[in-house]
Parts: sequence; C-alpha cells; structure tokens
Amino acid sequence: MLFQIAWRNIWRNKARSLVVISSIIIGVWAGIFILSFSWGMYKNNIDESVYIQLSHIQIHHPTFKEENDSKYTITNTDEKMKQFQADNRIASVSSRVISPGMITSPTTASGVKIYGINPSSEVTQIRLNEYVSQGAYFDSGKENEMLIGEKLAKKLKVKLKSKVVLTFTNTKSEIISAAFRIGGIYRSKNISLDEVNVYVQQKHLQELLELKPSESNEIAILVKDEKELDTIKNFSVGVVPNGKIEDWKELSPELEMIIESFNLYTYIISGIILLALTFGIINTMLMSVLERIRELGMLMAIGLNKRKIFIMIMLETFYITLIGTPIGLLTGWLTVTILGRTGINLSMFSEGLASYGFSSMIYPALDHDKYVIIVGMCIITGILSAIYPAYKALQLNPSEAIRKI
Amino acid sequence: MAQTIIDAHNVSKTFNPKTVPVHAVQNVHVHIEEGEFVALVGPSGSGKSTLLNMMGGLDEPTAGSVIIDGVEITELSENKLIDFRLHNIGFVFQSFNLIPVLTAKENVGFVLQLQHMPKAEREKRVLTLLEEVGLEDKINSKPGELSGGQQQRVAVARALASKPKIILADEPTANLDSKSAANLLDIMAKLNKEEKITFLFSTHDQRVIKKARRVITLVDGKVASDVQQIPS
Repeated sequence: MLFQIAWRNIWRNKARSLVVISSIIIGVWAGIFILSFSWGMYKNNIDESVYIQLSHIQIHHPTFKEENDSKYTITNTDEKMKQFQADNRIASVSSRVISPGMITSPTTASGVKIYGINPSSEVTQIRLNEYVSQGAYFDSGKENEMLIGEKLAKKLKVKLKSKVVLTFTNTKSEIISAAFRIGGIYRSKNISLDEVNVYVQQKHLQELLELKPSESNEIAILVKDEKELDTIKNFSVGVVPNGKIEDWKELSPELEMIIESFNLYTYIISGIILLALTFGIINTMLMSVLERIRELGMLMAIGLNKRKIFIMIMLETFYITLIGTPIGLLTGWLTVTILGRTGINLSMFSEGLASYGFSSMIYPALDHDKYVIIVGMCIITGILSAIYPAYKALQLNPSEAIRKI
Repeated sequence: MAQTIIDAHNVSKTFNPKTVPVHAVQNVHVHIEEGEFVALVGPSGSGKSTLLNMMGGLDEPTAGSVIIDGVEITELSENKLIDFRLHNIGFVFQSFNLIPVLTAKENVGFVLQLQHMPKAEREKRVLTLLEEVGLEDKINSKPGELSGGQQQRVAVARALASKPKIILADEPTANLDSKSAANLLDIMAKLNKEEKITFLFSTHDQRVIKKARRVITLVDGKVASDVQQIPS
C-alpha cells in the first residue's frame, strides 16, 4: 500500500513532478553528453597518437632512447619482422630507422626527427599516405624523396619539389649532410608532430647512417585486439630477446594520465550536475511534505508509524528519480550513438584544436561502465535528496500537524 | 456494571511552558465507561480538543496520566503508542482528513492493511463498513469526488475498520450541512447502540450535544459540569 500511495502522491501535482523529472532527464543527458564529448576528444587524441605516431608496441635497442643515437639498433630485422607478420593477432608491423638531425632550407633551419621508413609497410601502420595534402606519398621512386609536415614547410618557406639539406651524425659519429627533394607535404591531426617529423626512404637513410640493411632502430607493431596487448608483448620478448619492449602507455605516460584524469573528471562532472539536481529535488520534496503536514499528521494518528512515513517519502523521491534517470540515460545514449556516427564538426576551431593534438571532428563516445556510474550516482542522489524532507516529516507531532491549515 | 474504558487522571497540558505558558487543560479527571456516547463541549479555547487529543494519545499531557482499557498510554513509547492507536482507537476529524489519492474503499482498507489483515477478509470488512455508512455505491470514488458528508462517512467507516473500542471525534459535524450531520449522527448512534463502541466527541454542535447521553463541559481548561441526559 505504501508503494501505491507514494506512486499516486507524485502525480498529485503533475506539473511539479514533471518539472523535477525533466530536470533529472536534462541533468543525466547533459552529464552523458559532456562526458561523451570530452571522451570523444580524448579518445580521438589517444587513437591518433597510437595509430599515427606510437603504434601499440615499440621495440628498440635498450640504449637507443636514452642516447638518441641511431647506432643502437635491432639486428636481423627482416627475420624478426617475418615472425611478427606470421602472427595473426598482429594487424601490421614495420621497422624504422631514426635519427635526430637538422633540416636546412635556403632561408632557415630547424631541428627534426628523421624517420627512415618503408613506405609500403607504413600504409597500414601510420597511414601517412592519407594525410598527404600536396604532392604524393613516395611515388617518384627516387631515393632522396622526402615527406615533410605542412607546418614545417611553412616554417622553412619551402614548397613541393624544393630542395632541403638534412644534417645528422652517422653511426661512426661523423657529420653527414645530404640533399633531399620534397616529394610530398602532409598535414596530420597533430600539428606539433608535423613540425618535427620528416620521412625519408629507409634504405637511403640506412646507407647514409652506414647501417646494414637488416638493422633498424625501431620495430612498431599494431595489434588487432588491444586485449591481446600483454600476450603479444610476451611474444615479442621471444622474438627480440634483448630489445626494450614498451606498449603505448609506457611510451606515452601522458596518454595513460589522460585516461585516469578522465575517470576523475567523470565523477567531478557527474557530481556537480547531481549536486544541482539534489537541491532541486530537496526543494520540491520539502514543498510536497510541508503542504501535506495535516495529512501526514492524520496518517500518524490512525496508525502509520514514523518508519513507514519515512519510507513513503523516500519512495516518492525514489520513484521520481527512477522515472527521470532511465529517460535521461536513453536520450543521452541515443545522442551519443547518433553523434558518435555522424560526428560533431568543429572545423571552425580546427587550428586551435590541432595545435593541442585534437581533431576538429569529434565523435562522442562513452564506455558502458561510465553509464553505470552515472546511473549509480543518480540513484544515490535520489536517496540522499529524500532524506532531509523525510526527516522533516518525522519531526511532526500528529496533533499539531492535524491542526495545521 | 460497565467497565471504565478511559480514565484521564489529573491531566494537565501547558503549551509553551518556558516562554508564555498557556494552560490549555488543568487537573482534569474524567472517567468514561465502555459504550458511552459522550459530548465534550465548551467555548473555543476551553481545551476540549486538547483533552480529546490527550485521551487519544496524540498529545502528551504535561502532568497526569491517561489509562485506556487498562493501559497507561502516557507511559508508552512513541511507536507502541502508534500501534496502540492503530488497534484500539478510531479517529474522526473535523476536516475529514482522508488520503486524497486513495478511493473510499482503499481509505477504509488502509488501516486494515496496516494491521496485516488478509486481502479477502479485508475487502469483505471494507464493503460491510461502507454499506453500514451508506456508501456502497461510492467505493471507488476518491475523496475529491465525494461530498463533505460522504467524506465524513468514509472517515467514520475508516475509524470503525479496526473494530476499536473507542472512537474519538473532533468536531465531526462542523463542516457538514444539517442533513449530512443528522445522517452521520444516526450512523454513530446506531453503532454505539449495536456494537457498544464508546464515542467521545468534542463539539459545539447542538445536534451532537442533543444526541449525547453524557455532556462534559469544559471552561478554561477545567471541567465545569459533567451531566447525564436522555438523548433526543
């Protein structure tokens, strides 16, 4: 009977209950949207970093990253690559030769990271070919062809087909200068990387560095399923026993931090929204209790004990929360699903977003566990919001309450 | 010889004892026997509602004790008192005080549900009670769909639901027209006669006073007179 009375009580003042339910719906929806939008941005940033820059796993000579010297290599790369390629858990694998250096144009110079890549294997790895905005992706067949970022090209004041000079140290610690021609200019979604990374043919860079054809500085692996990451790392130990094997979280701890801070962000944003909702619910339920004082007094007089009065008020709030939360959740989920497919185009802010490594197309996304957190927090909010009005009802003295006009 | 059902012994009630004390009831002794039909009368502010509330365990006396059917209710804990009221006392209030979201049937059955009466038995009793008060055709009407007289009859049926020994009614006819008031009083008088339920009214209404067999008059919180009469 208490359940029935509580249910009917919330419909006594339909407009008021609907306002509270609507505020819960909007609150839950807003929470989901803000979180999914933020996570969409971060996820995009992480994916860009993993798929365009880092890959899931990188293997180096143990000293390579500390010394930043291309003489620290992984040997017999071809053989190792074949072992990785034979594993069907691995989506793609490529080897790179890397050297820090200086790029010089007729007008200026800049520090760069020179990647010697195998263009065909990188098509499925860093997909640089997709980001070429001018020229082509290593199609001339010339060994001195080079790909540079749009921002770097602007800085160097060079154009397609311009000649630039790369200066770096070879494995014998001799300074080498070599002329390259810009065959393509790319624009990735991370402008800061575009300014630093330049790409040349691996074979040519190996020759300049005086490395053997089977030597490389980096093996990068993309896995098919990220859940397999740890097992593939273990497998990599067998293939490259002396290599330093790191996954993307180890390579870029700031990405891991983004995920952790987002989890915290989830609680903070949800908390703020729910705090605002709490006051709305308390206010409404308090009004509902105060205008029913005589009725509550009568209920106590005829034999409804205070525990049951408390439960009844709690149930009323709980019902309101229980109606609003799933609707808010559903509208939020629908919004995320639809916008997750179509994306939100923020191209008018593309420059600013790109400078922080964010794409101008945001695809909102939210993991299921975040929905569970939001639902849990809404239910807790409903319960907490009900306590004060229910407590106020318990303070009533039946005889005084009945006399209230 | 009839048994004493209510014994208010030297009962006093003072409101605001620490600020501006108002002595609503002072040293009142009232004994009411089983099956009596008593009107508690007096001018406004004479303390009749306060005395009625104390006799029903809704208010706690500042001094004195109230014994109902051998139980000193002033000694009971809050929850035990609520439970005692549920099983022993029926209330009828001036402004009906029905639960607006429940139908007449549900309002009457509510008390029985609190007593955990099985559904079939409960429904049978509710129908009997609503028939007794002449509302068998209004069982599914909510209070807002009933007239004042009909609502008060539902309140009487609710008060009777738990088969209490006592019904306390605070100005039950104050908001009713003459016809409804007469009808209600006839029902109450019949129940008093046939089921030996003790009725205690606080009232100004001459129609109620004329029906009573005993009239206790309060003035300034004290019993001014206590007389037996032949009801008209």
